[in-house]
Amino acid sequence: MAISLVAYIREFARWEWARKFLAARTAPLVIPPYFRNYPELTGKTCTHHLFCMMACPAPGAIDVIRTPEGWQPRIHIGHCIRCGLCVEACPNGVLSSGRILESMFRDNTRLSFSFKIDVDLDKCMGCGNCAVACPVNKLIDAQMSHGGRASTDDLLLKLSDGKCRVLHVEKCTGCKTCEHHCPNEAISVARLLEAVHAPEEVP
Amino acid sequence: MRIEDVVCPFCGCLCDDLVVSVEGTKVLSVENGCTLATEKFTGDHRLAHPIRRTGGAWEKTTYDDAIRETAEILLDAERPLLYGWSGTFVEAQTLGVHMAELLGAVIDNTSTVCHGPSIMAIQEVGHPGCTLGQVKNRADVIVYWGANPIEAHPRHMSRYTTFTDGFFVKSAFRERKVIVVDIRETDSSEIADEFVKVTPGGDYAVLTALRMIVRGKGDLVPATVSGVTREQLFRVAEICLSARFGAIFFGLGLTMSRGKSKNIRNAIELTEELNRHTKFTISPMRGHWNVYGSNEVFTWITGYPYAVDFSRGIAFYNPGETTSVDLLRRKECDACLVVASDPGAHFPRACAEHLASIPTVQIDPHVNATTHLSRIQIPVAVTGIDAEGTAYRMDGVPIRTRKLFSTGYPDDVAVLGRVYSLVKEAKG
Repeated sequence: MAISLVAYIREFARWEWARKFLAARTAPLVIPPYFRNYPELTGKTCTHHLFCMMACPAPGAIDVIRTPEGWQPRIHIGHCIRCGLCVEACPNGVLSSGRILESMFRDNTRLSFSFKIDVDLDKCMGCGNCAVACPVNKLIDAQMSHGGRASTDDLLLKLSDGKCRVLHVEKCTGCKTCEHHCPNEAISVARLLEAVHAPEEVP
Repeated sequence: MRIEDVVCPFCGCLCDDLVVSVEGTKVLSVENGCTLATEKFTGDHRLAHPIRRTGGAWEKTTYDDAIRETAEILLDAERPLLYGWSGTFVEAQTLGVHMAELLGAVIDNTSTVCHGPSIMAIQEVGHPGCTLGQVKNRADVIVYWGANPIEAHPRHMSRYTTFTDGFFVKSAFRERKVIVVDIRETDSSEIADEFVKVTPGGDYAVLTALRMIVRGKGDLVPATVSGVTREQLFRVAEICLSARFGAIFFGLGLTMSRGKSKNIRNAIELTEELNRHTKFTISPMRGHWNVYGSNEVFTWITGYPYAVDFSRGIAFYNPGETTSVDLLRRKECDACLVVASDPGAHFPRACAEHLASIPTVQIDPHVNATTHLSRIQIPVAVTGIDAEGTAYRMDGVPIRTRKLFSTGYPDDVAVLGRVYSLVKEAKG
């Protein structure tokens, strides 16, 4: 114990070391412009597509809340892994981090979402819970959400011949309400995320 | 041809928003209907012509002969039973009751093996019920007790309760809480906010425990009641008490398990207790299409809802004595007319054996298990497909069904009317 204490003092009590330690000057820490920090709001209007939440690989890192100014994504630091997928997935450029938005614009690339609804017709009882609960159907036909009577074929989901049929899959927003409320576990919604170059149309 | 607002001829929901495409006498497609409705419309197990059993084989017969022989069988019998009536419309049921009175027969409908106990409980303590429209527009707590609507009444949740937006419930399934009470997990319990698993036969005790909690005597409730923990019982009671409007729907899990009518009485009394705090209603999940109508018709003509015995010359009702199952088990009946139901598939074996040993006549569009016990079967039109008539929805709302097309089949009123005239002629 005594020996190691002496060795310790002898090491640090050298004048040359102490002078360097006290007088050394290093370059100041500067965050470089390409550094990808936690996503920040750009001030653009959020349209509540929730693509940021769907793309996020870290559980609990992002949610979208309703504020007096409208919908707004909220990043939870500590959960966020700063991968930047939410920035890329947002169709409106609501979020920004590092140079992601710039490079997307320069390279004309985009992360594009599409959805696929599978109905297992052997399991489906045709109860209509999915079609009545579907928020897309609700906007298209109020009669549907008020009791399951389809008055148009523009709907996303509809009961036909005793089974749930997907009429317009392109209208699906990927919310999975149908999947969560299917008592027969007959519906599954797949969210397909793909990187595209020179997208023809912006969703 | 597309026909809109068609009334479904299957379960007690009587969905009246179906769109059916027909070509001639063939149903091409059914929209808005569930699997059960579609099968009912598109199924093709219709019997083509009347049949009678001779020896060990079926032979084709004519409507005239079949109807005459049916009248003879009923007139020869000392204690005929007229059973069924739930799959047909109220006009035919009315004829049935008048014929039973002429014959001095027993007339009974399918609630005898279904919601009969519910009716007995309602006779004891009343029925704090409401129409399904009230539930749709107001209810924020839905309780399914001993019922599996997803399999038995598939559109009940999407048309009237959990998922449909109502006038005062704008965002249906987010605002409504669903409690399912059953002895096993079912498709319906999959979407329940609270699933209460009761040990078989334990419903009465669970209902009593809930009544204690609602009454403020919760400290007397033991740690578990019929497999349900005290904590869950308090949670369920709290959900019910904090409801603005609650609706209990109960099925055969409650009426046909141990306790029978006493279970229902307890459930009605729980509803009454809850009404001291908030608004609560209770309704049976009537299964067979127009079974509610048969109870209505029997009641407005005889004063009793089912199991009415005319052998004394007056209407007499005593469940346990004049109910079909008890009559058949005692081998009392010496002839049976089955209309629009299938006792062969649903009655106990001893009853089915007795049905097979006596002259049984079936008036039904389809070949079913009862066909194999019958002497004669007379096919008729299906009400709601090729015949029109009035039926009652499970909440007591009468709905006029539509006729989609004409087939050669006579409807129930035509066949029963002719049997009735022959009986009347013979009886003077």
